[in-house]
Amino acid sequence: MERIYFNNCLTSQPAREVIEIITAYMKDKYYFPENFISKGTEASNNLDNAKKIIADSMGADAKEIHFTSGGTAANNLAIKGYLTANSNKGTHIICSVIDYPDILTNAAFFENSGFDVTYLQNDNEGFIDLEQLKDSIRKDTILFMTTMGNHTVGTIQPIKEIRDILDSAKQKIVMHVDACEAYARIPIDVNELGIDLMSISAHKIHGPQGIGALYQRKGIVLGQIQHGVNRMDNLQTGGMNIASIAGFAKAVELAFNDLDANIAKIRKLSDYLLNKIESTIPDTLLNGPRGIKRISHNINISFDYIEGEAIMMMMDINGVSISTGSACASQGLKPNYVMMAIGRNHEQSHSSMKFTLSRYNTFQEIDYTVEKLAEVVKELRSRSPLCN
Amino acid sequence: MQYSQKVLDHFMKPHNIGKLENPDVEATEGSPACGDQISIFLKINYETHIIEDIKFQSYGCASNIATGSIITDMAMGKTIEEAKNITWKGAAEELDGLPAVKMHCSVLAVDTLKKAIKKYEIEHGLAKAETFSKKTIIEELKKVIYPGVGEDIVTLKMVKYVGLENGVATIDVEIPKFDTHRDNVVEEIKEHLEAFDEIKEIKVTI
Repeated sequence: MERIYFNNCLTSQPAREVIEIITAYMKDKYYFPENFISKGTEASNNLDNAKKIIADSMGADAKEIHFTSGGTAANNLAIKGYLTANSNKGTHIICSVIDYPDILTNAAFFENSGFDVTYLQNDNEGFIDLEQLKDSIRKDTILFMTTMGNHTVGTIQPIKEIRDILDSAKQKIVMHVDACEAYARIPIDVNELGIDLMSISAHKIHGPQGIGALYQRKGIVLGQIQHGVNRMDNLQTGGMNIASIAGFAKAVELAFNDLDANIAKIRKLSDYLLNKIESTIPDTLLNGPRGIKRISHNINISFDYIEGEAIMMMMDINGVSISTGSACASQGLKPNYVMMAIGRNHEQSHSSMKFTLSRYNTFQEIDYTVEKLAEVVKELRSRSPLCN
Repeated sequence: MQYSQKVLDHFMKPHNIGKLENPDVEATEGSPACGDQISIFLKINYETHIIEDIKFQSYGCASNIATGSIITDMAMGKTIEEAKNITWKGAAEELDGLPAVKMHCSVLAVDTLKKAIKKYEIEHGLAKAETFSKKTIIEELKKVIYPGVGEDIVTLKMVKYVGLENGVATIDVEIPKFDTHRDNVVEEIKEHLEAFDEIKEIKVTI
């Protein structure tokens, strides 16, 4: 049996059509945009077209899209770019304790540089505390950042409600959203939701690795954070990953060709997986919300009495890739901070397993996975002093 | 970073797994909160002091299970004096090595075995309970592994000062501020020392 892959939040399998277009670009269409000469003009048109495809997927204008080397680069461009160019307006930032590390490490960086940061708390399903948000807004608040779909427990933050709260301030508070997990898994319209800056990543939606994009609302000023030769604009200096950009656009086309059907398919698979685990294996606990307030591809579940790295390793030996929030699987040997922030104890964090699905998964794969998982959990529980 | 085949073999099919009925002695170390816990059960011949049977239970990761398995193999049939010579480095070598970040699993397994033997010796008049002193703290700190290189913090000369006065243990450790293992080492020190009733307060300065 081929490897069964449930780590799509880490990276996903590139679509066949994506590989084909990247290959074609690398062979015959590798040119950089240049004025007047035929190949340069063609390259320029192709880039514009790729931007348009991505812009259309989120209700934006092509001019509002910048390509980056990935989600982290997009987050850095948004946060560092905005704060360096706008610190004269204020020096207070708001984010939450369960945000993706890109946001938290940038917040810490600016905290060390003299900014004030409010870290919002959350409830036990991972929704940020909106009352605390209301109370945290100050005259000098200039930026709110959030992870649209939580990378660990899948919680979809109420972006529209957050926008309304931010708009109650007298000054403009810019909202930056890391949508790398949520993009193509829930419908996102930047205008309906009032998003000002948004990061997305290709390799999480069956596109190539090493390419992402930042949506920058017209009128929002970003400072330059990477200086160098200006080939597209001053926010995207240096050479361009032409083939990967084409692959990214293809991945977006495939995902958004029938977004509702794609989301419905993945949600059906995820629901099937969750139901099957809960009905087959005793003493489990779902982490994060149940139903539509959760990103369609994420199931995070704790298994009492046993430790997650052991589950992960045994499932790996059985040909199934899943991940764990256990400290033992982390380099820092610390329990997962999101799990702790949603009120789980150390044991529940150590035993949490994350499945992130894709449209390429099948019901048969899930049947096999849960069958093996039930065996693995039973075996490890038989060895555990906590249930014997 | 990956596990050796031997670690995976012992993880998938651990030797001597389970509980002994009516053991002569048992010991449990670690805790679920830390992510790893081992219980060891021993049957010891009173006349010969030979370990005639040994079993273990594990709540922990693959290397926790594999080190439990290997040390029970190493101790089976040995006298308790011989078993006391089993070291965490020796156990790791028997497994064809462990990733540096996993060396603490070997320390936990060997420490649990030694605790069980010590308990047996005290219960059978073969040894006296040690008087608690600064030396006890230093010995305990030798069980705190720096995950970056898989060596203990005393051997690595990271411990600069150990003090004990009126139940207050003061430990000075040298770890650079940018070191990602800094918090983990401090937590490990506290977890190890909290097990001693004689210590009322732990002050770790870095």
